[in-house]
Amino acid sequence: MKLLAIIVGKCASFSLRLIHRGGSLPGKLALRIDPQLLSRFHYSCDIILVSGTNGKTSTSNMIADLFQTAGQRVITNRKGDNLKEGITTTLLNASSLNGKIHGDMIVLEVDELNIPYVMKHLNVSVVTITNFFRDQLDRSQEMEQLIHKIETALQDFRGLLVLNANDPNVIRIHDHAPHSEVIYFGAERCSSSLTTTSEASEGKFCPRCSELLSYRFYQYSHIGEFQCTGCDFQTPKATLTATDIDIQSGTFQCQHVAYHAPVPSLYSIYNCMAVISIAQRYHMEPEICQKVFHSVTPPAGRNETFQWQGNSYTLNLVKNPTGANEVLKTIELDQSSKALMIVLNDNAQDGTDVSWIYDAQFERVLALSTQTIICSGKRAYDMALRIKYAGYQGKLEVIEDFHAGLNALYALHMRSYVIATYTALAPVRLAMRKEG
Amino acid sequence: MYHNIMDLYGDKGNMMVLSARCQSRGIQCKIDTLEMGQPCDFSAYDLLFLGGGADREQVLLMQDLLPRRNEIQKAMEQGVMIVLICGGYQLFGQYYIAADGTKIEGLKFFDYYTEAGSDYKRCIGNIAIQAKLDNQEITIVGFENHGGQTRNVSKPLGSVLSGYGNNWDDHQEGFYNGQVLATYMHGPLFPKNPEVVDFVIYKCLKRQNPSFQRMDLIALDDTLEHHAKQVILNRLHITV
Repeated sequence: MKLLAIIVGKCASFSLRLIHRGGSLPGKLALRIDPQLLSRFHYSCDIILVSGTNGKTSTSNMIADLFQTAGQRVITNRKGDNLKEGITTTLLNASSLNGKIHGDMIVLEVDELNIPYVMKHLNVSVVTITNFFRDQLDRSQEMEQLIHKIETALQDFRGLLVLNANDPNVIRIHDHAPHSEVIYFGAERCSSSLTTTSEASEGKFCPRCSELLSYRFYQYSHIGEFQCTGCDFQTPKATLTATDIDIQSGTFQCQHVAYHAPVPSLYSIYNCMAVISIAQRYHMEPEICQKVFHSVTPPAGRNETFQWQGNSYTLNLVKNPTGANEVLKTIELDQSSKALMIVLNDNAQDGTDVSWIYDAQFERVLALSTQTIICSGKRAYDMALRIKYAGYQGKLEVIEDFHAGLNALYALHMRSYVIATYTALAPVRLAMRKEG
Repeated sequence: MYHNIMDLYGDKGNMMVLSARCQSRGIQCKIDTLEMGQPCDFSAYDLLFLGGGADREQVLLMQDLLPRRNEIQKAMEQGVMIVLICGGYQLFGQYYIAADGTKIEGLKFFDYYTEAGSDYKRCIGNIAIQAKLDNQEITIVGFENHGGQTRNVSKPLGSVLSGYGNNWDDHQEGFYNGQVLATYMHGPLFPKNPEVVDFVIYKCLKRQNPSFQRMDLIALDDTLEHHAKQVILNRLHITV
């Protein structure tokens, strides 16, 4: 069965490549023939798993870059096909017909809900967790149940955990994985840290004793330095800490080495810290990290700017309140006259529940300098209501078809920002590339 | 109530809409947020609102809520309107048994009780119901996402046109007894259902002034609201 599954999967991959398509279909077909296929691959190299709510694609790709820059052969699911079918496709493409995988390192971005499956079938050496935020609650169930499943999946894990020290939902994983080693990465208080938060967050209560957590400071959302009011649960002493953070330029230091994050933001710095942790573990020189951060091309639609008739149009993906807030904070910094287009879909991959738009701080971008807001997508009217009830005074338009919406945006001839949910991103980006 | 804890699924949007619709009509509206441990005279308000939270948060919340039972009872006797969403709805009943088997005793104001469905199955998706708010027939749309199955509801808010409702079986949604309006509908509830917010505003004003009529509320431009509702109704193949 294994041989047949691999042959079918490889044939599917080959045919899809002929028509310039990738994706997770080969893995899906192969798993249908042999549901245990993932556990039948042979490999002698380490597997590094990267998961968490936000930043897993960027972090995973930078870790893959790290080993590639060091001259190693890396197998990775770079395009973010992070469900079991996509992961199976990645390994399938890298294996010979007998299931042997030739490589020096396997780096896998894994969707949070797929961690139990992957841990069961693969011999993972390192588990890296970036953060846990509320994300598509209709899919992920409530945070608590999700984290509980991950804890259960890691209870016998004997490898290395690389955890965000500033996220109470992440560090609790180590409580439940007694046989594992751990590296905590964190970031010092900086100019954008706050002592109060207005963002909806998950880190209110202690995961051990359920008492309130008290925060010395917040970096963003519930990421920060905390201490339980009822027990000794608190931010652990980080193994590696980002210091001397300059948020405007994105520079920081770690163990007296200066780094420059690919994006000038705290979340990017946290991603970098995860990468630096892995680099240390595998005895790599800091120069390799510096090189990787310098040459990162942001994933498509992450702060990607197109030019058209002398104006800039910046496209961003939003998937959940925390990610959206980070994008909105960047747009808020631009005080010039501008237009905004929001494309809100509610397909399965976007999250069918659009109520998260009330947890995101759209108030940040409703100043007078935002002259027009165009709402598009399948739930354009829900988005328009969100903007209306936030008290927006500018021109609010609803154009459900995003092509028509983009045309209306271009007709304004002004600096514009476009934000799109997951399933809207690719088609919107394609349309913007054609124009731009 | 407990806005910083029970803020799952954007329920804070409800108060945003209520406040904006009062403001548009020149009706003074002040919203206070109750925090855990903070003293509060519920009878001094026209409306109490409690949203939804995750299981673990509801356990903690109940410790704070139980000692306030008499205060809430007193407020009810004095005609204070109460709106409860999801978790808030469950906590006003007899008890709630969470997905992991933990039993949370409710405030026991009403006979209904809630038990989590077996094997983590949840009621998730867009929902539309036909409701009767006093004498007003309204179609309400929203999004439901709950594991809890609420049964023994003596006075449902409405009957389900599409979706699940209180539980898998009886095609009824929410609870409404003329004063307490409880529902599983997020979305949030108020933005796409202006008739419901306005009804709540009317009930609050009527408490202050018994001769106040529903039609005394100034009509607002609800074009966007009706479009948003229509998108969901079309999706669910419901013609009203």
